[in-house]
Amino acid sequence: MTQPCTNDPTLITLKYRQGDLIIKEGDYGISIYKINKGRVLIFRERDDKQIALSTLMPGEIFGEIAFLRKAGERRSASARALEETELEVWHPSILSEEYVGMPPMLRYVVDQLVSRLLRMNHLLVKLSDQKNRRQKVTEKSDQFLSQRRYYRKTVDLECYYWPTGASPKVRLPGWITDLSLSGVGMKILPQNTSSFPHMPGDSFTLTTVLPNGRDIELRANIVSIKQDETSDRLTVGMSITDLSDQSKKLLGFFLMPG
Amino acid sequence: MEIRPFMQIYLSGEETYASGDIIIEQGSTVNSVYIVLEGRARVTKRTKAGIVTIDTLKPGAIFGEMALFGKLLGGRSASAIVADGPVRLGVLNSQLLRRDYEFLSPRLRLLIDTLIVKLEESSEKAAAFVVAASSKDQASI
Repeated sequence: MTQPCTNDPTLITLKYRQGDLIIKEGDYGISIYKINKGRVLIFRERDDKQIALSTLMPGEIFGEIAFLRKAGERRSASARALEETELEVWHPSILSEEYVGMPPMLRYVVDQLVSRLLRMNHLLVKLSDQKNRRQKVTEKSDQFLSQRRYYRKTVDLECYYWPTGASPKVRLPGWITDLSLSGVGMKILPQNTSSFPHMPGDSFTLTTVLPNGRDIELRANIVSIKQDETSDRLTVGMSITDLSDQSKKLLGFFLMPG
Repeated sequence: MEIRPFMQIYLSGEETYASGDIIIEQGSTVNSVYIVLEGRARVTKRTKAGIVTIDTLKPGAIFGEMALFGKLLGGRSASAIVADGPVRLGVLNSQLLRRDYEFLSPRLRLLIDTLIVKLEESSEKAAAFVVAASSKDQASI
């Protein structure tokens, strides 16, 4: 965490440990920071992915965009300490008078420089988004590989289920609402729970008929069971533990987008 | 674009270029600061996958300032500037701008220097991204 040093009352220095977040994109902030020691990563975040904009070294500064742009003083990017870092904090008041009094032509040049920097950072984010999308397309084509992330479909399929190992004769009806290669969401009538236990961890065998007329069978463990908010049914979330190769293929085709 | 009153004393000349003309060659030393008055110019980088465009400068945009301030003073241009259609440029008096800059406090100078370093780094990264994107496209064909 931060640790202010108060030896010099006119100048505040802050210390950060490796990995500490110094400023967060979108937050309000007006201070400018000069790096005395350490390295700082400037980055933006999109869909939980970090897009590195630059790595700053001792003697360089950051946090200046909010000052120069007066964009409601919202941070245009985040900053993180890459190692033990010591920063000198400049309150904008120590610069603003001089900045306003700067020759207009020089201020114009600086302003254009900021515009180009922001455009370049915007381009970086855009290109990085495109790269992520391309990766997703690649994943789509490999969807039978068991290590991949699978597609999930919202469905309304009647099914039957029974405790794994028990006779299929004790089967009870349910309605599958969500389906992927790794999990099943099912709604059941509350009275089903009086026939056999429905506890998290319990294994059930399910059979259903896919819209294309093909039968599939699978085994799944209950992950959660809760009262449906809009009906008197119970919602059961299950994680698939066994899926025959044939069922996997059928389900894989069914889940294919488009 | 309309030349604002404060720009007048800095304008030391005009240059015109035809489409495709190279205004600043990548790797050359830059001695002038320009303002785009009419038309557009592309900022390009030469990479192993060919020439990639990373930005388009419109009227009012400034370029060549990288060599004027800070660490890159007298340095070589890291990108090329190419006319995108006919373009008219104003040449700014770099001595005058340089003097303005030298009158600033060390803090404000550092702020400008950092902007230039960051722009350079972001441009470099953007070019690398464009190269990565184009080589992937080729691989998928």
